[in-house]
This record gives sequence, structure tokens and C-alpha cells, in this order.
Amino acid sequence: MVELASFPTLRSRMSAGWRRLSKLPFWAQILIFVAIASLVPISQAIGVSTEYWTSIGVSVLTFAMLGMGLNIVVGYAGLLDLGYAAFFAIGAYTTAVMTVKLGYNFWLSIIPAIAIAGTAGAILGYPTLRLRSDYLAIVTLGFGEIVRIMFTNWDYTDGPNGVWNIPAPLDPWPPSIAGIDLSNQSAFYIIGVGLVLVAIVGAHNLSLSRLGRRWLAVREDEFAAEAVGVPVIRTKLLAYVMGGMWAGLAGAFFASRVSAINPSSFTFQLSAQVLVLIIIGGLGSLGGVLVGATLVVGVPELVRSALPNVQQMRFLVFAVVLILVMLFRPQGIWPHVRGRDAPFVGLEEELEKKEAKREFKVEPAFAPGEPILKVSNLSHRFGGVLAVDDVSFEVYRGEIFSIIGPNGAGKTTVFNCVTGVQRRQRGEVEFNGQSLDRKWLRFRFPLRPHEVVKRGMARTFQGIRLFKQMAVFENVMVGASVRERSWPWQALLHSPSERRDQRRALHEARYWLRFVGLEGVAGRLATQLPYADQRRIEVARALASEPILLLLDEPAAGMNPTEKLDLMNMVKEVRKRGVTVVLIEHDMSVVMSISDRVAVLDQGRLIAEGAPAQIQTNSRVIEAYLGRDEDEEAETAEPGLGARI
Amino acid sequence: MSYFIQYTINGLTAGAFYALVALGYTIVYGIVRLINFAHGDLTMVGAFAGWTILVTFGLGRLPVALAIAIAVAIAMVVTSVINVGILNFAYRPLFNKSLLAILITALGMSVLLQNAALNIFGATIQPYPHLLGSAGVDFGNVRASYTQIVFFSISCALMVALYSFTQFTTIGVAMRALAMDHDAARLMGINVDRVIAVAFVLGAILAAAAGVMIGLYYTQIDFFLGFLVGLRAFTSAVLGGIGNIPGAMAGGLLIGLLESYCAGYLSGRWQDVFVFGVLITVLIVKPTGLFGERVAERM
Repeated sequence: MVELASFPTLRSRMSAGWRRLSKLPFWAQILIFVAIASLVPISQAIGVSTEYWTSIGVSVLTFAMLGMGLNIVVGYAGLLDLGYAAFFAIGAYTTAVMTVKLGYNFWLSIIPAIAIAGTAGAILGYPTLRLRSDYLAIVTLGFGEIVRIMFTNWDYTDGPNGVWNIPAPLDPWPPSIAGIDLSNQSAFYIIGVGLVLVAIVGAHNLSLSRLGRRWLAVREDEFAAEAVGVPVIRTKLLAYVMGGMWAGLAGAFFASRVSAINPSSFTFQLSAQVLVLIIIGGLGSLGGVLVGATLVVGVPELVRSALPNVQQMRFLVFAVVLILVMLFRPQGIWPHVRGRDAPFVGLEEELEKKEAKREFKVEPAFAPGEPILKVSNLSHRFGGVLAVDDVSFEVYRGEIFSIIGPNGAGKTTVFNCVTGVQRRQRGEVEFNGQSLDRKWLRFRFPLRPHEVVKRGMARTFQGIRLFKQMAVFENVMVGASVRERSWPWQALLHSPSERRDQRRALHEARYWLRFVGLEGVAGRLATQLPYADQRRIEVARALASEPILLLLDEPAAGMNPTEKLDLMNMVKEVRKRGVTVVLIEHDMSVVMSISDRVAVLDQGRLIAEGAPAQIQTNSRVIEAYLGRDEDEEAETAEPGLGARI
Repeated sequence: MSYFIQYTINGLTAGAFYALVALGYTIVYGIVRLINFAHGDLTMVGAFAGWTILVTFGLGRLPVALAIAIAVAIAMVVTSVINVGILNFAYRPLFNKSLLAILITALGMSVLLQNAALNIFGATIQPYPHLLGSAGVDFGNVRASYTQIVFFSISCALMVALYSFTQFTTIGVAMRALAMDHDAARLMGINVDRVIAVAFVLGAILAAAAGVMIGLYYTQIDFFLGFLVGLRAFTSAVLGGIGNIPGAMAGGLLIGLLESYCAGYLSGRWQDVFVFGVLITVLIVKPTGLFGERVAERM
């Protein structure tokens, strides 16, 4: 190890460098960016470089703005978008029309450009977001082409000729600062840096907000995200809207900068270039976008200036560089790492004290027989298999209720039907006195899983479904997000009330991680932890939504006896806080020792229900597990099971 | 009415080409879940390979059928070699790593092929030799040229051959098994790497056939041809349900017809808008495409 460390490869040294840079506070990173960016106009001013290179810099900035936006769509929310140029075009045309046709100045056209491009994002997003990602690729590609062709055929903007004489941001142009005359491109460059800063700060704020975590959650596991309270469709839609807004900003800037635009500037090639730059840079990483933009614009230009005779070679070389970068560094040049060393440092002690005094209804006085969950006549069919067959049961407030049964008995399907993950085909579910169906005329619409979470029912999964590339505390914060109140625009500006909301969510996360005994590893990635701990994170994530009913799907699976004991204590502790618990479990020692009542499913039917002692002696249950007495094989094969039941 | 029939004939011919290219997208997608962006450009490479044989090497003076057969055969070899090369160099090292990274290398390969052709053959349109006249069968005002009839038949024959290959040969069955479950297929003793390579060769063969036929039919080609054909073919594959072989064939013919009707009855300017509009509508109503199956997910 020591020897290896003393000869760091170029690659490892590079990663270490990026990591050190990523660890700097955000404002310091911004200062570094501004310092590096200012080299370009300064070097032109002192004659080291020419206006040509400054204009390349302006192109880099335009691509950086685009990259920041597409990074939201692809990097954060995980939606493949191959038609991103459409939003860029819409922004550019908005500015062109407003300035040239309607006579407004450039600055007044920025907000409409952003707004209209964002609206276009919603229009594209709404009908298409239920599609799988590969299909989304072609639909977005088609959208990009449609928008371009529409501009080509739009007579108002002169069709393929486009709009000319788009004014510069200021009059007189180029302006002078403190008596120094700027060159044309330097002035655009300075404005561009300002707009890129806006784009970076906005994207950074979003990535750390509730919305940002929800995007990541959807990217990592859409299904689990919905089940812990994330409204998936709305979250994805917001990604498209935000992505569109960033492109609108870039488009406005681009239109003013090139002063004449036409539809041929907004082809699929442009969309592909932006996608390439965010992936080369490192998906999800803002620094990566800047690096990627520099490479994607810079490499072809370097080739052009190095080999002036072979103009056509530049994209050939670009393609080769692109492929090589991907082969040797598929995660990108500046990959994004989501873990954090000490997530809870800096939380104010004052809140901490309040937290300690937090009151729970310990051992709530529940009237025996008051149901919190009432399932009646639930049936569910998969093709020819009747997985759940006319099941009815009630769970009482404050109890620990177990559902057991052989494999394939329909236990998880019952959970899925109750939480709305599976659309209920027949039967009713009443939770906390209210039906979990929305009724309209004679139709019934089961509540979506995230709405069920909001009503106070949380769940975990049979196979662990954590958000893998997110830190542990962030996983739990996603669970807490149902109770956050801030709006996307507040997240964008990182407003005081949003900060308070964030701090509260962070506190919740800390509280529940402490509750399951994992506060110490809060900053690690979820996948870096051992199996039993991952299960406990799932429990903490579910509890963070402050449910009154918790559904645990085989929580003890794969745990050793000590871990099982911990788990049982934890479940009891949860119940003490006034939460009713329903669990599916195979381990009879767990079930029999902590349950107040047990229900047994076999082949979709409820065959027994009652106190553990009754279940253990129920002849139908023994039959379901062991077969009939005549069937001697089964009995001899598993002699231990009878004793365990 | 005669217009309608004429548009149908033209649409089916173009649609058959799209279907051939779409099959390449669909086979590869079915097996490795990769949208092979370079596939459209492979068609362009096939067209240029055929062009080189017919024009540069002057084989155009041989009897027509023989000349075309040789051109197609050589184009097939060239595209197969290139496609397997791309697979081994640009995609295989990234399998099991990141699908997005492969998508980017595929985009890179597309740019690479286009610009390689641009550098070798130039940016101008290259005329394909007029080996096939415009003679044909006339029914009143409607004409089905012999070229259309022959090319449509060849395309159909190739599609049937491919379909039979996947249904009745061992390696075809292995291919379908692989599409369903990589690990299970590997455990059953299937040589996964070889089957993937075969899929890429099959795609390349069909692309080369389509490329040469497109060249002969439209009588001109340029380096950008692959992108345009590829876009429509990819659309066809998705419309039919990507991963589904009969779906890609039906999707290709459908896209060809839609395009032809739109150009005939409405306007050529709105052709692409119309085609993508139909695609988006179909996907909204049936998110897996016309013939695609729902992919089950265990919870």
C-alpha cells in the first residue's frame, strides 16, 4: 500500500485534485472560477491573446449555461434528453422577437425567454414523463426536431433565414468600464460570466434543496421514491421546467451575442454536444460542466488553430478524444460524489435542545378494537394467478400486527395494494377513518403511493431499495421531505424560510438516524454500509415521514440473531412512540415474540387470525406450512419447523 | 385514388429501407440495451462502400445484377468489420460500467464515421450510377418501377431471413435468450460475447444492403445520409416497440407510408413534424410502442 501511494498515477492524482477542489466551500470555488475566467479578457487586454480566443471563451460560457440546465434534467433527475436544443432555440427566438420585432431591450427579454422556455419544458414533459427512459430519448429527440422545423416554417421570423440585427445588451456597444474601452467580445464575455454565475448558483441551490434530493431519489429508484412520499411525476416535470429555464437564459444570451439567428443553429448536433459535455465533465457535477464545456468547445478550436489546413479534421479529432475520455474515465473527468464527511456539524445547539424535549405519546392509550387500518374484501389478480383472494382484516391502533405465510402467499401484494403501489382491482382500504380511494361519480381512483405516505402510512421493502448514490442522511431526508413546505423558487434563491426548512429536515434525519443507531455513518454513501445497516436506514427513512402506521416487509431477512434482537427492540421502541406496526416476516421467533396479533395468508387467502398462541396451535396454519399428516415427506423434511411454530 | 396508390408504393419502398436499418437498432437494443447511434452512419458507410465498388473500381460496366451483388457483398463485409470493430473498441470495455458512457461513445462513433466520410469523400453530394432505369409496370396513372418492386422484394426477403434466423437457428435462439436474461443465458452455456458480435454483424449486413439500395434508388449520397436515415429508422424501431423484431419491420413500413402520404397530401416541409407527432401520440397511448411488451418489475 505504501509503495502504491508513493507512486500515484496521473489518474489518481487527478481525482485527488478534483476531490480537494470539491471540498472547498462553495464561495471559494466560485472565486476560483471567477479568477480563472478573468484571465481571458485580461490576456486579451495586455495583448497575450486575441479577440478570437475571447470569442471562443464566450462560446464556452454559452455551452456552460446550457450544460448547467441539461445537468439538472439528465444528471439530477436521470431523464435522458436528446432534444435540449429546442429550449435553447425557444429562448433565442423569444429574445430575437422581443428585441427586433417588438422593440424591447435585451435585458427585458431575458425573463420572458426563461419563462417561455420553462413552459415549453412543461409542455414536453407532461405527456411524456410516464415513458421509460429509452423511449424518452426518441421522444425528446423528436421534440427537438419538431421545434426546429416549426421555426423553419414560421413566416413571422422569416423561416429559414431567421432574425437579423438583434441588438447588443447595451447601447453604446462595446461599452467602457472605468474609462477603459472593452472590445466587442470582452464585453460579451463579462456579461456571460455574470450569467453563468447566476446559472451555477441557481443549480447549486437546487441540488442541495428538497427538490434536488427528490430528483436524485427519482433517478436512483423511481418506484421507491414514490413509495416514500415523492410525487414522482411532478418532480420530473419540475426537472424539465428548470432545464428549459436554463436553456432559455442561454438562448437569450446567444441571440444577442451572434446578433442573427436561424433554425440551423439548433440541430440535434447541438443537443448531442451539450449531452456530451455534461457526461465528459462528470454527470451531476457543476465543476464538471465547466470542464466539459471547455473541452467540447476548446478541442475543435485547438485543432483548427493547430492544423489550419485541415478544417474538416476538427470534429474527427473531437470524436476520437470523446471516445478515449469515455473509455478511460467513464464516470467523467470531475465526477460528482454525494457523500459528506460531517453532515450534522453546524446544526445549532438550540434546536438540539428543543429536539430533546420533543414529546411523543408514549404508550398511547388506545382503545382496544379501534381500527387504524381496515382492509375489506381485497382481491388482486396477476394474469391467471389470483395472488390475493378476498382478504379482509383490521389492524388496531397501537398494536404490532404480523402477516405470515409461505412464499407466494400474497403478503407483499397485500402491502402493495394497501399502499397504492399496485392499483387495487377489488376491495376497499380504510386508513385512519378515511378511505384510500378518491371517488368520482361511480369511479374509484386509489390514492397514489406518495399521497398515502402523506396520510401517515410509511413502508419498507422486501429487497432493500435505498437511493444508492446518495448519502445516508440524504436518504432519510427524502423520507422527511413530505413535511417540508418550501416552493421551488424558494429553493432556487435559497431563501431564509427554505434554509429553515432544510435545517429542520436535517434535524429530522439526525434524530431518526440516532434512533436506529447510525448517526455515525450519516455522511457515507448508502451502499457502503453492511446489509443489516441498510435495512435500518430504510426504517429510518420510513419513520422520517412521521407515520402513524409503519409497514415493514421482511425486516429481519438476512440478519444474524444479534441483529434480529436489535431489530425487535427497535420495533417495540417505534410502537412506544405511538406508531402502529404491521410486519411481514418469515422468522417465527421474531413474529411470535413481538406480535400482538398474527394473520396467516396461504395462496392468497386469509386462513387464520389471532394471538400468537392461537396461531401456533391452529391446525390450518400447521397444514399450510407442513402439509397434511398423510404427507409424510414434508414432515420428515423439515422436522424443526413444527417446534418453531 | 391513383395518387393514393402511387404514394403507397413509394412509401412502402422507402419504408422497407427504414425497416432494414431499424432491425439493426432493435437487435442490438434487445441484447445489450444500447441505442447504437452509430448504426445510421453504418448505412452511410455501406452506401459509400458500394459507391466505391461501382464507380471508382468501375464495376458498373458488368451486368447489372452481378455488379450490384458484388457491391452489396463487399459493402456488407466492410460494414461488418467496422461494426464489430466499434463493438470491441468502443462499447465492450464499457459494458457493465455505465450505459450513459456507452451512449456517449456511440454518439462519438457516429460523429467519427460522418467526419471520416467527410474527409475521404468530401462534403459534396456523390452521384450514384444510374444502373436501373425508370422502367416499370404501369396501371393507369400509377407506376411501380422495377427498382421499387425488386428492392422491396429483396428487403422483405432479408427481413424474413433474419426472422427465421432468430427463430430457427441455435445462435438465434441464444440471441433471444440473451435478450431476456444475460446471467441466465451465460449460466446455460451461451457464449455471450460471441452472440453479441453476431448481432452486430447481422445489423451491419442489413445496414449495408439498405445503404447500397438507398444509393441506387435515390441516385445520390452524402456523408450526412446516415443521420437522416438513422433517425427515421430509430423512430421506426421505437414505434414498433424497440427490441421487437416484427415490430421494427412494421414500424419501418409505417413510417415510410406516413412520410409518403404527408409529403403527398400535405407538404414535404411538415413531414418530420407529422412523423414525430404520430410517434409521440402512439407512445402516449401505448408507452411500449405498437408491439412492445410490458417489462415486468419485481417489487
